[in-house]
Amino acid sequence: MGTINAALSMMGGALEADQAALNVVANNVANANTTGYTEENPIWQENTPVLIGGISVGDGVTEAGAASQRDRVLQERLDQQQQMASASGTRLTALNNMQALFTPNSGVSGATAGDIGSDITGFFDAFASLESDPGNNALREQVLSAASTLAGDISGAASSLNAQKSSLDQEASGVVGQVNSLTAAIAQLNQEIQSTSPEGDAGTLEDQRQQDLSQLSQLVGINQITTENNGLSVTTTSGQLLVSEGQNFQLTTGTVNGATDFFLGGTDVTTQLASGGGQMGGYLTARDQDIPNALSSLDQLAYGISTAVNAQNNAGVDLNGATGTAANPLNIFSEPPHVQGSAAAMSVVMTDPSQIAAASAGSGTGDNSNAVTMANLAKQAIVNGQTPINSYSNLVSTLGATVNLVQAENTAQNASVTQLQAQNNALSKVNLNDEAAAMATLETSYQAASQVFTILNTIMTSALNLGVETAVS
Amino acid sequence: MWKADGGQANPELKKLVVDASCALARLDTARLEELALSCQALNGSLETLSVKDRTALARQARDAQNDMAVFGRVLQATSANLSVMKRLRELRMENIEYSERQARGDGAAEANYGND
Repeated sequence: MGTINAALSMMGGALEADQAALNVVANNVANANTTGYTEENPIWQENTPVLIGGISVGDGVTEAGAASQRDRVLQERLDQQQQMASASGTRLTALNNMQALFTPNSGVSGATAGDIGSDITGFFDAFASLESDPGNNALREQVLSAASTLAGDISGAASSLNAQKSSLDQEASGVVGQVNSLTAAIAQLNQEIQSTSPEGDAGTLEDQRQQDLSQLSQLVGINQITTENNGLSVTTTSGQLLVSEGQNFQLTTGTVNGATDFFLGGTDVTTQLASGGGQMGGYLTARDQDIPNALSSLDQLAYGISTAVNAQNNAGVDLNGATGTAANPLNIFSEPPHVQGSAAAMSVVMTDPSQIAAASAGSGTGDNSNAVTMANLAKQAIVNGQTPINSYSNLVSTLGATVNLVQAENTAQNASVTQLQAQNNALSKVNLNDEAAAMATLETSYQAASQVFTILNTIMTSALNLGVETAVS
Repeated sequence: MWKADGGQANPELKKLVVDASCALARLDTARLEELALSCQALNGSLETLSVKDRTALARQARDAQNDMAVFGRVLQATSANLSVMKRLRELRMENIEYSERQARGDGAAEANYGND
C-alpha cells in the first residue's frame, strides 16, 4: 500500500517539478529570436505508434508535404520531445534485451541467466542433501554438479551482458558518421541560406535544414541557436558546438578503458552525450549505466558466494581427512581476487568430490556439521549484506523497475509527439480561428484529464487503504 | 459508466486509466469528459461498497499502478505542450498587433520616437 501511495506522491511531485520545466520552456520561448510567420512545407517523419497498455494510438500518421507554418518554437519543442523519445526508445530496446536474459527459461542461447535463482537454491540444497549421508559419493558429485551449473549460468550471464555492451558500443560508434554527415550538411545549408536569403525565408533550403535538424535530433540531443542573417548554430544539449553557422565540428571516437569514447574538439563528451538524448543517449545510457549496474550486482553475487563457500570448505575436513591450507586450498570455486570481474570468471575448480569438507575439524570424516554450515550459508548475508537469493532477486526486480520506468517515459514522450503533431496540423491551416480551436481542445483535454487523474488518484488511494480514506465529494 | 453490480466493478480500473491515457494522447476531449463523469460516479459509490468489493477494487488499484504512472507522465507532457502552445499564440498575437500598427503607420512613428 505504501508503495502505490509513494508512487502517486511522486507523480504529484513530478507535476510540480514540471512547472520548473515549463518556466524553462517559457523562458526559451521568450528569448527565442523567432522569425514569426514564415510559410514553408516541412516534411514530417512517420509518427511513432504510441502503445499505452497494449493499445496503439496515433500510429500510421504521416504529414509529408503538408503545408505548414514554420515555427521554431513549436519545432524545437517537437525536436526536443522526439529526441527524448528516441533516447528512451533506444534504451528500452537494450533494457528489454537485458530483461529477456534474466527471464526464467528464456531460451536465450549461450546462457541461462534466468535460472540463476533456482541454481542458487539447488546448490545450497545439494549441501542439505549431503548432510544426511556425508560419505555418499553420488551426493558429493551432486554438490559439484550444482556448483558447476550455478557458476556456468552466472559467468554465462556476465558474458552475455558484456556482449550486449559491445554491441551497444558499436551501435553508438555507428551514429558518429551520421551525425558528422548531417552537421556538415547543415553548415553547408547555413552558408547558402545566409548568402541567398539573409533577411527572409530561404524556402526549400530552410526545409532541408529543418529536415536535417530533425534527423540530427533523433541521433543526439541538440540545442538550436538562431544567429544573424538567418544563420543557425547547433550545440549538444550540454553546450558543445556541433555547427557554428557555416562551420561544422566533427565528432570523433577513441578507445578509453576498452570502450569507445566520443570527442568534440579534443574534449571527451561521452557523459554529456549519454544524458543528452537521441539514439546516442539511449545507447550510451544502456552501455555505461544499465549494463554496468547489472554486471556489478552479478559480480557481487559471484564474489560473495565463491569466497564464503571456499572459506567454509577450507575450514572443514574432507573425506580424506585433509584440511585446506594456503598452499593447498580446498576451493570449490575459483577464488576471485576482487569483486570486479568475479561473475565472468566464476568457475568450479574442484574436480574430486571427496575434497568437499562435510566434516568439522576434529570431528572425524563421517561428521556432517560443516555440510550443515555450508547449507546454512543460503540464509546468511554473504553477498554485500544480503542473502544470495535476495541479492539476485534485487538484481532482477531493479532491472524490471527500470524497464517499467523507461517504458512509461517512452510512452508519454511519444504521446506528447502525437499531440504536438496534431497541433501542428491545426497551425498549418493558417487560420487564427482554427488555431484557437486547436488550443482550446488541448486546454480542455488537459483540464478533463487532470480531473480524471485527481479522481482516480483518490479512488486508488481509498481502495488500497480499504476504508481508511473515504470518498471525496 | 461504472457501477457496482453483483460485487463486480466494471470496467476495471486499469482499463479506465489506459483509456484516459489514450484519450489524452489523441486529445479526445469528449471521451475524457465521459471518463471524468464515470470516475466521479465510481468515487461516489465507494462508501457503499462491501468489504468484498473493496478488496476487489484494491486488487484493481494494484493492477493499474503502472498504467497510472504512464497517465501521470502523459499529463505532464501535455501540460508542457500546452504552455508552449500558449506562449506561441501570445507571440503570434503580438506579431499580428505589431503588424497592424505598422500597417496604420504607427510603426514609423514609434521608430521616430526611438531615434529621439
